[in-house]
Amino acid sequence: MSTKLKIALALAASLTLPATALAQTLNVATAGDQNMVDYIKDFLGPMFEKANPGVKVVAVGTGPGDSGSQKIYEKLSAQKAANADKWDFDVIVAHQKMSGQMVSEGLLAKYREKIATGALVTSPTASNALGTNVDGFVMPMFQSQTAIAYNPDMVKAPPATYADLREWVKANPKKFGYNGIKGGMSGVAFTAGWVYAFGGDAEKLIKGPYEAATKASWEAALAELKAFNQNAVITPGNAGTLDMLNRGEIAMGPVWVDMFYTWMNDGKLPPTMKLKLLSPGMPGQPMYYAVPAKAAQAELAAKFIAMATSPQVQADGIVKKFNWYPGIDAKHLEGKLDDATWKKLFSDLTPDDLSKNAKPFPIAPYFNDILESYEKKVVN
Amino acid sequence: MPRPSLFGLLLVAPALALVAALFLWPLGHSLMAAFTLNGDFSLAHFRKAFELYSNDIVFTLLIIGLSTLLIAVISIAIAGVLTLSETGWLVAVLKQLYRWPLFIPFIVAGQCMRTFLAKNGMMNNTLVSLGVLDPSMTTSFLDWRGIVITFVWKQAPFVILMLAGAMASIDRSTVEAGRNLGASRLRCLIEIVLPQVGQTLLVALVLSFVTMLSVLSVPMMVAGSQPTMLTVDMAFRINAYGDYPTANALGVISYGITAIVAWIYLRHNLRQHAEGGR
Repeated sequence: MSTKLKIALALAASLTLPATALAQTLNVATAGDQNMVDYIKDFLGPMFEKANPGVKVVAVGTGPGDSGSQKIYEKLSAQKAANADKWDFDVIVAHQKMSGQMVSEGLLAKYREKIATGALVTSPTASNALGTNVDGFVMPMFQSQTAIAYNPDMVKAPPATYADLREWVKANPKKFGYNGIKGGMSGVAFTAGWVYAFGGDAEKLIKGPYEAATKASWEAALAELKAFNQNAVITPGNAGTLDMLNRGEIAMGPVWVDMFYTWMNDGKLPPTMKLKLLSPGMPGQPMYYAVPAKAAQAELAAKFIAMATSPQVQADGIVKKFNWYPGIDAKHLEGKLDDATWKKLFSDLTPDDLSKNAKPFPIAPYFNDILESYEKKVVN
Repeated sequence: MPRPSLFGLLLVAPALALVAALFLWPLGHSLMAAFTLNGDFSLAHFRKAFELYSNDIVFTLLIIGLSTLLIAVISIAIAGVLTLSETGWLVAVLKQLYRWPLFIPFIVAGQCMRTFLAKNGMMNNTLVSLGVLDPSMTTSFLDWRGIVITFVWKQAPFVILMLAGAMASIDRSTVEAGRNLGASRLRCLIEIVLPQVGQTLLVALVLSFVTMLSVLSVPMMVAGSQPTMLTVDMAFRINAYGDYPTANALGVISYGITAIVAWIYLRHNLRQHAEGGR
């Protein structure tokens, strides 16, 4: 054997040897944008490592949007199918749709009642993920909400309802922009809200039960949306809408509240911009902390989530750092936040607005029906 | 011929395994998924793909066809100037500049175009401040035009690079003979140079076509989604519905488009070989 070959073999062998593990490694997989990965890596991770010497937190990002959650699901589902003893993820952070599916396929563990912060959650989304009962399996990490952002220099009296908006767009063509349904969730949320407003029984879409025939009743609403689109601008993505608002190209558009405030803090949106929650309601969604059914470090995972959902961490991390609404009941955060932060979060959209017009997304089968009907009736 | 040594085979094995594992296996898998429903052969996914996305298929073809055409025209012009121009400074400047986009990934190009082509973006703002445009006349190019502009900007340098290389290596005496007989430089380019580098141009354009067909970031970032390109629809099928079969059917449709282009190229190639053999 030549020396070169020996070296090559030695190298190959060293690569395939299992990395010598630390005493305990907690693998946290998160869907969502890079900011989610950074939050775990730079904020929660070090905090947890400090409180638990010998533990190393490893954060893995699986990508933004539902596709990120889809990847987590595919991994766990594959490990279940392969009868693996221990699955690779200890904590996952996922969106509603896939979390519901993971619960119904037995991929997640029931842990909420075992941790102290479990009792601080009051949101209905903690037990119902788009129609799937997830009670006990998930803790909301945060609540995010969509709303209409508008430029008060261009819009003196913002529309208060979807019907008002429809009239406003007729009178002001190409001044309202949203990103359709393929460019990010703020457009999807706007579309779902449109169907809530004009498609008939919104409660049924949110609570079920599912009937395949319901989608036929959206014909008129979707035809109107098609006409509405003629006078709207289709923007490239969630950020595209904010970009166009910032440059004054559009006067109004649906955005995620947290993105809106983050962009404002970064100076990417003028501080004069305002938010309005249209009635009868626009959707928002939580992301969930969950523990896979065969997590290698289930105990540590629950401990990690308990820390991440404690009032102080929710105040400092979720609300202050990211401008999200807390996953646990907001009343537990009073006194943990400075006045300015508290006011900012609840100034444009009052707690009253939120309780009246902040809706969940439709249950999963209706959700898919809305998207596909949009593809069929509005785009085609 | 020497017998292939075991060591040699060992060296190729990882590459072969990689091709098999990362290309052939997924390809077979995606074909299977596209053509089966509950284990039986079915065209249901294609029916759905055509029902929902026929507009987008046409849109994709138009965008990429137009881009390829523009790339061809621009590359011929620039490569022609590089080869035939007698204006030294122009050639020097062009040579320096044209390659830059080659080093920029599509996603970065998309991001730049997003702010450059917007209604109140850099391009329009510059034109307005130069007095060329009135602010009320500006329009946003963030639609199909933005996609075409980004594709052309990004892919033309690649074609120019190949074309200018081919043009530089042809026998210059033919061009000089033409020039001596009074042919203009444009005529020399079209009648003497181009026919000699046609093969290279075709290869470069086919490669660009296939590359553009596979880009997700540009249509996603530059334009709104109605209508949009097939890559975006595939991503959407998977991300929104977890619907791999229809996404795979769309994938097979884009293999089909690629296959047509590849067939044109191969046929041309074979004919050339046949002519060369005579």
